[in-house]
Amino acid sequence: MDYAKLYEPGQLNLLFNKRKFFICIAHGVYTSFALFFIPYGAFYNTAGEDGKHIADYQSFAVTVATSLVIVVSVQIALDTSYWTAINRFFILGSIAVYFAILFAMHSDGIFVIFPNHFPFVGNARNSLSQISVWLVILLTTVISVMPVITFRFLKEDLNPTLIDQVRKLQKARRKQKPLQNYMCQVSRRSSRRSAYAFSHQEGFGELITSGKNMTMHNSISWIENLRKKTAETVNSFRSDRTVKL
Amino acid sequence: MAVNYNAKEEADGHPSGVGVPGGAGKSRKPDNTAFKQQRLPAWQPILTAGTVLPAFFIIGLIFIPIGIGIFVTSNNIREYEIDYTGTDSSSPCNKCLNVSWNSTPPCTCTINFTLDQPFETNVFMYYGLSNFYQNHRRYVKSRDDSQLNGDNSSLLNPSKECEPYSTSEGKPIAPCGAIANSMFNDTLELFRIDNETRTPITLNKKGIAWWTDKNVKFRNPSGNTNNLTALFQGTTKPVNWPKPVYMLDSETDNNGFINEDFIVWMRTAALPTFRKLYRLIERKNNLQPTLQAGKYSLDITYNYPVHSFDGRKRMILSTISWMGGKNPFLGIAYITVGSICFFLGVVLLVIHHKYGNRNTSADIPN
Repeated sequence: MDYAKLYEPGQLNLLFNKRKFFICIAHGVYTSFALFFIPYGAFYNTAGEDGKHIADYQSFAVTVATSLVIVVSVQIALDTSYWTAINRFFILGSIAVYFAILFAMHSDGIFVIFPNHFPFVGNARNSLSQISVWLVILLTTVISVMPVITFRFLKEDLNPTLIDQVRKLQKARRKQKPLQNYMCQVSRRSSRRSAYAFSHQEGFGELITSGKNMTMHNSISWIENLRKKTAETVNSFRSDRTVKL
Repeated sequence: MAVNYNAKEEADGHPSGVGVPGGAGKSRKPDNTAFKQQRLPAWQPILTAGTVLPAFFIIGLIFIPIGIGIFVTSNNIREYEIDYTGTDSSSPCNKCLNVSWNSTPPCTCTINFTLDQPFETNVFMYYGLSNFYQNHRRYVKSRDDSQLNGDNSSLLNPSKECEPYSTSEGKPIAPCGAIANSMFNDTLELFRIDNETRTPITLNKKGIAWWTDKNVKFRNPSGNTNNLTALFQGTTKPVNWPKPVYMLDSETDNNGFINEDFIVWMRTAALPTFRKLYRLIERKNNLQPTLQAGKYSLDITYNYPVHSFDGRKRMILSTISWMGGKNPFLGIAYITVGSICFFLGVVLLVIHHKYGNRNTSADIPN
């Protein structure tokens, strides 16, 4: 709740509207052209490093598919702004799983079982062991990702949005101060409470209107319940360090 | 609210015994672990000038030398190409232009050429075709991989994908399909001309196909005889072939489905202009170049008609480097992309210095 104004871009539909959609489509078209025409130019009327076939239909497919997976993963990595271990696991894991499945589908074993369904036998080994294939993949990745980085950097430098400014600020602050101590927040909470938290509590209305006697033993149990409920709510806010009371 | 509660109970964070009123036992509060409370250690990258600009410069500085290396390597590859379609009336092969696949006797022509520079390392002899769409969808599907893998039931019962090239004269075709039917069957021979004497150059026909293709993907049908003619009993040759598949070569390890020319042809090309490895010319010793400079002659047995679809045929002699055959595209592309990156880095640096780098902390409304 530190930066309540950050909710505004979402409410004003600034993050996904028709203009952004068409920019997205244009970016996709540009990447598709790069993904096809770079291997097309590199494999036009040429042969591999052992003289044998490299420009065949299946090797071309493997090259383009591998470039595609890597380009998309790099794009996702650019968009990920909060890299935890889980992000690392899934993004790198997806590339690893792609290669695992690729080699599995192009292996000898599965071809022997289903010859008509897995005709790409030996392809992954043959194509991906050629240096020129990896050079093509690297070139395609850089060509696809470079404009994105350029535009984002220019936009952030010249016209930073609120989100960008907040992130820069957080980064600068984190460099200066160590992590806040939880205890000091807890001790503050015993005296001050957010009205937001308690606006959703039941309050004493039910207690009063129920007509229960305010004897010692009744009220203690009621208040005990209420106290525990309050403790739960406040606990759930405690973990968010940016909550100010 | 005048409710007092125990700060200590809250501090240790254990889920309280009583949760929702009326519920029994388990609290619905998530555990106070880093994972569930979204407190995992994280790295938050931001595209600042300090990361993006050096990245552009580094990419530029890496790509330009790579591009120059590739370009220089490609330029050092020796390549000689002869188009022998015969469309030009002055070409020796013009008489063979309208040959059909079963002309007897086969049309032959000879083309003389001169190599200006010797070819030092192993030389690869390719045949190239243009305007031949081996990547047409129905063409690519027109094969039976289990028949080519030596499956005896598929041998006599080709798959439906091979239609209409799956049966002929009532018998199943082996190998079936349009790809096999259109196999390239010109014969090319190379002679060196040395003062009126023609010496043939040894052309090696083994080792031109992928190892996995020759040993895993393509297998002859199995049986308890080594006689391929008997193993292919009950099948007939493809419609446009002069000889059946078990007579492709006299050597048994290059005959039948495992004939390397056949395997190379069956690996369909991706683009309409392609080259396929035909023969290898190996270097005899390290003292002499593989092909010396001088006069050569190419004898062609012209069996393969391409004129009807405006195709072109050519023979290519080429050496090979670590990045493959002669192709300047990759080198030029790397140099271009490296230069663009470097130039963009400079431009962004200028823009960043002049207009960027505003102080952000004062502007954020809280």
